[in-house]
Amino acid sequence: MLAKSSIGRRFTFSLGAAYFVLFTAFMYLPILLLVVFSFNDSPTLAFPWNGFTLRWYAALAQSTELIKAVWNSVLVGLLSSLIATVLGTLAALGIVRFNFPGKSIFLSVAAMPLVIPAVVMGVAMLILFTMVGIPLTLWTVGLGHVIINLPYAMLIVAARLAGFEAHIEEAAMDLGANYWGALWRVTLPMSMPALVAAFLSSFTTSFDEFAVTFFLAGSDTTLPIYLFSQLRFPSRLPLVVTLAAIMMLLSVLIVLAVEKLRRMST
Amino acid sequence: MFPRKWVILIVVLGVLLVSCGGGGAATSGAKLNVFEWSGYELPEFWAQFAAQHPNVTVDFSFFGEDAEAFAKLQTGFQTDLIHPCAGWWQLYVDNGLVQPIDTARLENWADMPEFLTKQGEFNGQQYFIPWEWGYESILVRTDKVDKVPTSWKELWDPAYAGHVAIYDSGETQYMVGALALGYEPFNTTPEQDEAIVQKLIELKPNLLTYWTDNTELVQLMASGDVWVAGSAWPETLMLLLEEGIPVEYIDPEEGRMGYVCGFGITANAQNVDLAYDYINAVTSLEAMTYLIDEYGYGAANAAALDTADPETVEMLQLADPTILNDTVFYQSLTPERREAVVSNWGRVKASP
Amino acid sequence: MTTLAPPIRTAAQAEATRRRRLLLIMGPPGLALLVFFLVPLGIMGLYTLRSGTLGGEMAWSLDTYRSFLANTALQRLLWRSTLVSLQTSLLCVLLAYPIAYYLAFRAGERRMTLLTIIIIPAWTSYLLRILAWKLILGSSGLLNTFLLWVGWIDQPAPILLFSQTAVVVTLVYVWAPFVALPIFAALDRIDKRLLEAAADLGSPPWYAFVRVTLPLSLPGVLAGFLSVFIPTLGEYVTPLLVGGVNGIMYGNLIQDQFVRALNWPLGSIMSLVLLVLLLPMFLLFRRSDDLLQR
Repeated sequence: MLAKSSIGRRFTFSLGAAYFVLFTAFMYLPILLLVVFSFNDSPTLAFPWNGFTLRWYAALAQSTELIKAVWNSVLVGLLSSLIATVLGTLAALGIVRFNFPGKSIFLSVAAMPLVIPAVVMGVAMLILFTMVGIPLTLWTVGLGHVIINLPYAMLIVAARLAGFEAHIEEAAMDLGANYWGALWRVTLPMSMPALVAAFLSSFTTSFDEFAVTFFLAGSDTTLPIYLFSQLRFPSRLPLVVTLAAIMMLLSVLIVLAVEKLRRMST
Repeated sequence: MFPRKWVILIVVLGVLLVSCGGGGAATSGAKLNVFEWSGYELPEFWAQFAAQHPNVTVDFSFFGEDAEAFAKLQTGFQTDLIHPCAGWWQLYVDNGLVQPIDTARLENWADMPEFLTKQGEFNGQQYFIPWEWGYESILVRTDKVDKVPTSWKELWDPAYAGHVAIYDSGETQYMVGALALGYEPFNTTPEQDEAIVQKLIELKPNLLTYWTDNTELVQLMASGDVWVAGSAWPETLMLLLEEGIPVEYIDPEEGRMGYVCGFGITANAQNVDLAYDYINAVTSLEAMTYLIDEYGYGAANAAALDTADPETVEMLQLADPTILNDTVFYQSLTPERREAVVSNWGRVKASP
Repeated sequence: MTTLAPPIRTAAQAEATRRRRLLLIMGPPGLALLVFFLVPLGIMGLYTLRSGTLGGEMAWSLDTYRSFLANTALQRLLWRSTLVSLQTSLLCVLLAYPIAYYLAFRAGERRMTLLTIIIIPAWTSYLLRILAWKLILGSSGLLNTFLLWVGWIDQPAPILLFSQTAVVVTLVYVWAPFVALPIFAALDRIDKRLLEAAADLGSPPWYAFVRVTLPLSLPGVLAGFLSVFIPTLGEYVTPLLVGGVNGIMYGNLIQDQFVRALNWPLGSIMSLVLLVLLLPMFLLFRRSDDLLQR
């Protein structure tokens, strides 16, 4: 009986491993193909392989529209992630450290942007800005991103805050600090990994955000909006593909960083 | 490990970047904002402007459909120049989105035919300057089809199943449907409207996809995925011919469709003088000749017919009055009528 | 006399201080959510009570409700979109479950690393991943040119692009890794001793799976399912890029109302209907999430 179950185990183990490999390959293959073919010396993304070239990377450096879009995305990403992290941290503090009537309602509302379809978010905010007369610019895009990222930032920081001593602020205050000093000098540094994780995760979301941004953008485009407009023109694709390759690499690095931080903070 | 100094650093960095970004824009010189159809940003069209104002950046934003452009402007999009088509001009004027244009400042005004300029005149003032007029007709890859269509009705021919692409616009498809059914467009009864909806739904099995952007259609036809475009603009024809793709622009028995588009200066434009210079540049003889040669459109500057490539003028019958007579031009729709047409198109798109 | 001890306060003073701190802390995020989230949704709700289009006359009326109720084509589209989301979510769960199982039970020490390996592609750009599929499947794309070059076919085959299938495939590709996460979390939490006990009592592995593992993993499965189902219901980007004529989803028509048709009241009602449908899902999601945390 033991032998049978261990053979069975090994069979399912190798089956499981095989499936894992297959799944991973399926996930990576299209992306890797893109990266490989970004070095292909051919005007379109097709077989056969024409030779190794870096000319698309060179052309990328000269594409002003593209660079402008990247710069805009970086700006919007940094600022909106900062605000989202700050607001999310405040909300997390409130949720974890205080009890008040309507707390669960607040929690539900704060979590809602996570699950509302992007099209509805985008449309609703568009209506708001139109009615109030705010023109669509990178600022409106940034506001949209703040709302999208706030819930997740809150959850990440709340998970961390809930993890350690609930009366740490009181302990600090017993030693002479006032409440806000205690927060700044004790709670904040201790939750720093979670804060940075929240910031990075907000940044990656913002950098890649299209569905909501589409409704809120004016004449200054972000990178995803620019990409979308280029997706219809396969002749300009080699440039887009090289950009894809670079972005993949950056995303990988950021994801690894976030993972490390998340694990450090739990 | 993570000193709070990092927090301060990030905040400062963020603020610096944002203020640098804003400051950078301010010191880079004057900027003219043009809201355009994609494809018209080519420097050949505004070469005169670039020579006249070497330090001014022309910032293009693009739209793929008139409704998209109008919606953006109506919701506060900032720009100096817009380029919508005549069917919408009335709406722009009624909603106060454009300012009257002083035709005395236009260099090429005298060369513009009245049948075009009249359309841009509202309440005794000129609000829109026509730039291009063009046909909208069936475009076919002659090497892919056995039989070249001669009528709008043939879009429904099952021989083309899965290889037809149509423009994602309620107005256009309403026209196509009306012409295919032999109705008089802009004068249909509700029963006829319903028949058009049903007819358009019947077209769906033949369709590969809707196209929303002209360059998208060029790619689809170049790759051979689409054999019949019903409809396409002349510029698609020219771009494909340039790539050596065998295509033919059809003269359907019911007539081609036609439209006029032109420039308006927005009511809240910040660079009005530059806008006038830009209009003068794009309506100049060189620019308009280039338009005819490259894109096959009719030019508002009538003198360009003489300087343009005669083969192109011939091929697109730009100087041929008989074709013009058979062409059905888009007319202005009232908001209610537009709503009905568009909502019908929504029903077509939504049905399985 | 040192000043280390805090001043003695009355209960009322302490409560007032607590309230003040709460206000200062919860104020900013609360305000942000109110102004930029709840208010827009509220205005959108108000728009449903108007009718007309941008640029024309807009009036207060219930006409938009009437026209939505009469518009059976839209309702059927909503139904079809729900089915697409359902298909996508089910496929994601089916594909992700074995991965989560493998990671939780067989991967041992390396499980977090392997999990990260799976997650990385999921965190790269959404648009670029769709682009990758467009390029591979298109008739001049990598798959077709490869087959032509190798000589297996002599005409490009119009596979999969511009269809509802293309939309489902692309959505599954995008979302499957995200589904693996909550299922893995649930499976990882299962006390392995339960399974040892089952084995000791003589039950074969598959039976233990069905009676022990599967039920305990259900909160994770539910959370994973909903985390795909809810966002894909309003999806419009993927159908726009690969859906063609038959892959159009409800979200596309909402977008149309705001960008093309300029019929904001109709677009608002369509969005409201979507939210109302999603509300029970959302509550279910919160509940499954709570179950998961426990």
